[in-house]
Amino acid sequence: MASITLDSLTKSYGQTEVLHHIQGEIQHGEFIVIVGPSGCGKSTLLRMVAGLETVTSGQVSIGDKVINDLEPADRDIAMVFQNYALYPHMSVEQNMAYGLKIRKFPKAEIKRRVEQAADILEIRDYLKRKPRQLSGGQRQRVAMGRAIVRDPQVFLFDEPLSNLDAKLRVQMRLEIRKLQRRLGVTSIYVTHDQVEAMTLGDRLMVLNGGYVEQFGTPIEVYEKPASVFVAGFIGSPSMNFISAQASKGQLTLPDGTTLASNTSANGPVTLGMRPEHLKQHGSGPIQLEVDLPEQLGATTLVHGRISGTELPITASLNGIHAASSGDVLRFDAPVEQMHIFDAQTGKRIE
Amino acid sequence: MFPTPIARTSSGTQIAYKIALPVALVLWLLPLIAVALTSVRSAGDITAGNYWGWPTSFNLLANYTAIFENTPIGKYILNSFKVTIPTVIGSVALSCMTGFALAVYKFRANLIVFFMFVAGNFVPFQILMVPVRDLTLNMGIYNTTAGLALFHIAFQTGFCTLFMRNFIKAMPFELIEAARVEGVSEIKIFWYVVLPLMKPAIAALSVLIFTFIWNDYFWATVLTQGADTQPITAGLYSLNGQWVAAWHLVSAGSIVAALPPVLMFFLMQRHFIAGLTLGAVK
Repeated sequence: MASITLDSLTKSYGQTEVLHHIQGEIQHGEFIVIVGPSGCGKSTLLRMVAGLETVTSGQVSIGDKVINDLEPADRDIAMVFQNYALYPHMSVEQNMAYGLKIRKFPKAEIKRRVEQAADILEIRDYLKRKPRQLSGGQRQRVAMGRAIVRDPQVFLFDEPLSNLDAKLRVQMRLEIRKLQRRLGVTSIYVTHDQVEAMTLGDRLMVLNGGYVEQFGTPIEVYEKPASVFVAGFIGSPSMNFISAQASKGQLTLPDGTTLASNTSANGPVTLGMRPEHLKQHGSGPIQLEVDLPEQLGATTLVHGRISGTELPITASLNGIHAASSGDVLRFDAPVEQMHIFDAQTGKRIE
Repeated sequence: MFPTPIARTSSGTQIAYKIALPVALVLWLLPLIAVALTSVRSAGDITAGNYWGWPTSFNLLANYTAIFENTPIGKYILNSFKVTIPTVIGSVALSCMTGFALAVYKFRANLIVFFMFVAGNFVPFQILMVPVRDLTLNMGIYNTTAGLALFHIAFQTGFCTLFMRNFIKAMPFELIEAARVEGVSEIKIFWYVVLPLMKPAIAALSVLIFTFIWNDYFWATVLTQGADTQPITAGLYSLNGQWVAAWHLVSAGSIVAALPPVLMFFLMQRHFIAGLTLGAVK
């Protein structure tokens, strides 16, 4: 059973602590995405699981075994790197076979496994080529092939799609998900792309500044973001935040507008509303003065300000919408789609 | 376009260019032309003071066979190879390993060790003349090709390490990490992953070091004497007779001595130029 346990995992470089007491249980066969902005420590966390970074304190275990002090080679993991890290002087076949050769697998077994992996990844025709003769997407497949031939307990992906163009990225994303389902191998995937995170992960670990902000399923993270950071990071376009005063279940916005809400909070709060949850309504309480509409075809994003203030707000309207600069649109704010956060700590208030 | 092609400049510039170029070329090549001409002159020409004029007779064959028949130039050339080849192999092999260690491993003294290698290059080597000569004498390797080669290896490894370390440092580190995750031992990472990728650096450095060492005159005269051990650069002067200066023979010898590095350069030109810039940009 390849479950992974992170127990109060901490990493420091000298005096600077970059990861703070990371806690998490990953089930066998689960696909976990670690997501966060650059510099949040997500790659460091992955590399600690891989054994490429030392653990300052706390424990990492695979199954029942603490692996803190094991060499990467002894952890039974495979890793896919952002720049693929294929050996340039070896053919595709040799790249995939090298790990097995080092482990002294019999030749016939190596051949069988490489061919099987090549079939799964549809790279059979390229086996004799060198990595430099392959396109980005093909190299990515080879890198994954090198990981799967070893049949490891855990896959680690370090932003594997960030060097591909947008279209290929969508395609490879689907393939990685299908492959992981098919093989059922516990996986940890690091990305800064929230779309990848939402679509790939069984669960997401949202990291910010070395702290876990939230660890939950994509839907939980979207519907009940635990903090202002998570709310702003997950979802595109980003959530709107407006500071407000809460009292007796009502919210008062800076321009004096009052909104009904079911919050129990009192005092200053941050109100979060996703652009796609603002409902256009002729007599709605929120007045948006349009600065710039963006036509995306399927939706129209209206960027603007709350009338009479400088507070930015964005709404997402279905279909093509003819709004021009200076127009005032009115919106309803559905109570169940409101997110209320503590103004000081940024934590969610139910 | 910059620079403007000559064909598109004013006629005055074109004429000036067409005059200046051959003049510059001749000036540049004058010493070489002189040596080449002298190497085919007869001894009589030189005694008569005909240094720059047309040779009275062309003794190409006679002079070049004479140096091989009458002087130990063959031995000198052999000595040169005996010093140069082990130095190239030794310093390149050592620096592959030191460069790998300094580029890949993080240890406390890493930078200090690296700076020591680099600092060695800044020591004006002339000040080491007396101590090195005493050292080799005490070690019993004074006046041996092996001693000279050993000294060159020691001295060149500093520069080679700088070169190799920067080259390996520029490689994607993920390659090494990927191999580690796959369970490849460190020595195998060096041998099977890093070394094959260092081929261009090894080629460039070999050509460079070959030229450096072949052309070395200073240490050859300091650490060796006599035809049994002296490389060709030091041995050339002894082609002069004891009482008579045989400049035509010395010139012929010079041309022969210059041939291996020149050949090496033309054969490996690509690597040589790569070698001059490799590791410089990082």
